[in-house]
Amino acid sequence: MPDEEPGTPVPPGGEDPGVVTLTIPCAPEYVGTARLTILGVASRMGFSYDQVEDIRLAVGEACTNAIDRVARGGNGSGPGSITIRSHVETGRLTIEVEDHTGNGAAADGDAQARPVEEIDPQELGALLMEILVDEVAVEPLPEGGTLVRLTKYTAEG
Amino acid sequence: MTTRPLSSSPGGPDTDAEELFRLYGRDRDERLRERLVAMHQNLVRFLAGKFANRGEPLEDLVQVGTIGLINAVDRYDADRGTKFSTYATPTIVGEIRRYFRDKAWSLKVPRRLQELNQVANKAVDVLSVKLGRAPTVAEIAQAIGASEEETLEAMELGNAYDTVSLDSRMSTETESAPMTLAEFVGGEDETLKALERYGDLSAAIESLDEREKVIITLRFFKDLSQAEVAKRLNISQMHVSRLQHRALNNLKKLMSS
Repeated sequence: MPDEEPGTPVPPGGEDPGVVTLTIPCAPEYVGTARLTILGVASRMGFSYDQVEDIRLAVGEACTNAIDRVARGGNGSGPGSITIRSHVETGRLTIEVEDHTGNGAAADGDAQARPVEEIDPQELGALLMEILVDEVAVEPLPEGGTLVRLTKYTAEG
Repeated sequence: MTTRPLSSSPGGPDTDAEELFRLYGRDRDERLRERLVAMHQNLVRFLAGKFANRGEPLEDLVQVGTIGLINAVDRYDADRGTKFSTYATPTIVGEIRRYFRDKAWSLKVPRRLQELNQVANKAVDVLSVKLGRAPTVAEIAQAIGASEEETLEAMELGNAYDTVSLDSRMSTETESAPMTLAEFVGGEDETLKALERYGDLSAAIESLDEREKVIITLRFFKDLSQAEVAKRLNISQMHVSRLQHRALNNLKKLMSS
């Protein structure tokens, strides 16, 4: 019996987006928590199960890339944190994944000096995100860290 | 022929591959193709691994992903300047996602959740057909008479509890390579099921070429795993996978004509 409780707030479809914010330690074991949260948010929005899984995978990749960047740029400034903000809007979900590493995770783009072993997980992670959601934007943050913005529209397309 | 500026991997491992791709593009040599596919197997593994927590055996995902890889190898044009991995990833991922679309997951989930899981999966199938699109969670919940929360839980915990990795190594006494659990788990083969409907299957099998016939027989009538078949025929498992795929396609063609 879905939607029995009147208390369940459904985003009104107006200007006012619902925002769900989650901050996790920048460590692999918390990626699952992010995935679970996204499951809760995305599945209330009329996405199909496959689409929800795709969104979760994309967010997981964004987190993992942030963790990788921090691990590689590691200069003893601590693991930092990742903030995942889900903006629920009519017809679309926008998820911002922001890592606060405090040490300017510069390694976006192709600045990697690490040995290329045939497979570059970061690059493929980015590619995966593009396949799985509708829009991907990546911006370096002025105070260090990176912002990845993922958007998925509810209408299949 | 042309020397062109390398894409993003300076002198990297792709350089070799690019030469091979050019040769393959020109000659369409079966052995080159095999080598190219083998060279990029780790790309498939990497990508398949990303989808492994949706409850399907990694080996199955690798297999369907390999189909995507083969298609990508056939269509890739090294002179376009796109790195192969960039070109192939969407194709590989596409195959894997398609596979999930027609598959239900199972195994090692606590009973209640497993049951709910299965009911939900069935509902997904039925609803997909009825609606002509994948259903939403709300629709699934309504169909199975559970709350959305429960439905989600079943789906989510179904993942979380799937803890015995299908890739865990099983030791057997004779081994070069230990087998994985996944290889011991029987699975229904949808393709074969569909074929069963036809009475003239065996006639069709007879008309396959010798090697395909052997593989089909060993795989589906003697129930050997691909790894076992590979050992017997002294070829790689991937090769078996490919031959099997081709054989099944041929069978389909034969049966539908």
